[in-house]
Amino acid sequence: MTSRLKDRDALVLVGSVLSLGVVLWLMSAPLAHLPAPIGPAAQQFSEGARVTIQLTLVSAVFGLLLGVLGALGKLSAVAPVRWLADLFVWVIRGTPLLLQILFFYLALPAVLPGVQLSEFWTAVVALSLNVGAYNAEVIRAGINAVPSGQVEAARSLGLSRFNTFRDITFPQAVRISLPPLANNLVALLKDSSLAYAIGVVELSMVSSRVQAESFQPVPVFLTVAAIYLVLTTTFTQFAGALERKLAVGKR
Amino acid sequence: MSKGEVIISVDKVVKRWGSFTALNEVSVSFKEGEVVCIIGPSGSGKSTLLRTINRLEEHDGGRIVVDGIELDGDTRHIDAVRAEVGMVFQSFNLFTHMTVLDNITLAPRRVRKWPREQAEKVARELLERVGLLAHAHKYPSQLSGGQQQRVAIARALAMQPKVMLFDEPTSALDPEMVNEVLLVMRDLAKSGMTMLVVTHEMGFAREVADRVIFFDGGRIVEEGDPAQFFTRPAHPRAQAFLSQIKHAG
Ligand SMILES: Nc1ncnc2c1ncn2[C@@H]1O[C@H](COP(=O)(O)OP(=O)(O)OP(=O)(O)O)[C@@H](O)[C@H]1O
Ligand SMILES: [Mg+2]
Repeated sequence: MTSRLKDRDALVLVGSVLSLGVVLWLMSAPLAHLPAPIGPAAQQFSEGARVTIQLTLVSAVFGLLLGVLGALGKLSAVAPVRWLADLFVWVIRGTPLLLQILFFYLALPAVLPGVQLSEFWTAVVALSLNVGAYNAEVIRAGINAVPSGQVEAARSLGLSRFNTFRDITFPQAVRISLPPLANNLVALLKDSSLAYAIGVVELSMVSSRVQAESFQPVPVFLTVAAIYLVLTTTFTQFAGALERKLAVGKR
Repeated sequence: MSKGEVIISVDKVVKRWGSFTALNEVSVSFKEGEVVCIIGPSGSGKSTLLRTINRLEEHDGGRIVVDGIELDGDTRHIDAVRAEVGMVFQSFNLFTHMTVLDNITLAPRRVRKWPREQAEKVARELLERVGLLAHAHKYPSQLSGGQQQRVAIARALAMQPKVMLFDEPTSALDPEMVNEVLLVMRDLAKSGMTMLVVTHEMGFAREVADRVIFFDGGRIVEEGDPAQFFTRPAHPRAQAFLSQIKHAG
């Protein structure tokens, strides 16, 4: 019974990765069969979805790294490291994402004249920092939720701080953090639409363009909403299956 | 009763939290092979003493030497002492995300650098000894409290420690599970293990302990032979404490 459950989870994991791939590469085919204004713009929609997914996944990876670093920083014994991490989280969570994206687009070249980033990578920087700050909070809470008695037991067995973190704290913190991290991922996917403000041609930008050309907002926005729903649902399913797969030792 | 050399020496050890003094110049030593029961009222510093001996707490004054290694600021000394001293906690503290077998093999593999086969072989022997070999692949949540505590003892023994510290190992257990844990501890004592046991199990203390130490207010106020201590305690605080727990039990 448990193994069948595990099998189903594995199926969902593989299935959601596959369906992401389908959205990425094959979506334009079915869309092309739809009447105007969708059919003729199928290529644009699938391009936009691809950019949205790329923005999301690349930022998610960096955001996860930043989140772990931020959480460790917040829990550091070194006060200045703690302050830096707190400052990072405070600034990012306390200001609008749109402002952050515009800041990196407009102000970064002025501050660092040597740095030339494309619109896509500018958006990645802003989105990574943004989701990273939220992840830091979530991971910090996850680390704190690991019972301190287990850490003491590990230390009393002679395990180093590093080994205790790697073998005891981290794996359990990941499990605890997974559901809220998945929420952050879904939020990131939706937030990636703000990249349209600096001209990244992602899904929302496409919808606004196609709408402007066809003057048919209803089918255009319904289509885009449907694509977003497919993507967010895929992410949620993936996260849920991963969570169940990792939930060992619980009854 | 002739026992070996002094293996732990605690000399005028002080532990404070803010202005509160949990250990007030405690001096005591423990010999190889000795079983010592530590009793005393809540908050008297029993756990704190055990915890300073393997550096879960840092002492603020005095000296602690374990098997010739002084617990000073040197992390190599701390790691060396921790590898020699096993600890069993009131609340078991098993690693809930690992199987019983992995709980036991983790430290030998990471700290002693044993290959997995060797660590698992030793772990199985220990599980056999505590009567849980059939449960090697279960997770802690699938075990009863008594079983979990026996795994915790096996986990500490896997490091082949010279000393075992027990901090109220049966206090969190349902009454019917207390005996299975005490039985394992009795066997361990018979095998010659040096044991420091904080416990209110008077039967165990009388039967197994070589010495009883009575703590009150961060000091050792009485120390002696169990039979004598339990029948005729000298210190009024010890008399009051014993009559209290006799009435409660
Ligand atoms: N981390 C801490 N911070 C502040 N005070 C502490 C801390 N740990 C212990 N204490 C205090 O030190 C005193 C001694 O605590 P300890 O745990 O050694 O008592 P104990 O004799 O083991 O009591 P019990 O029978 O309740 O376990 C208590 O008054 C306790 O409140
Ligand atoms: Mg205690």
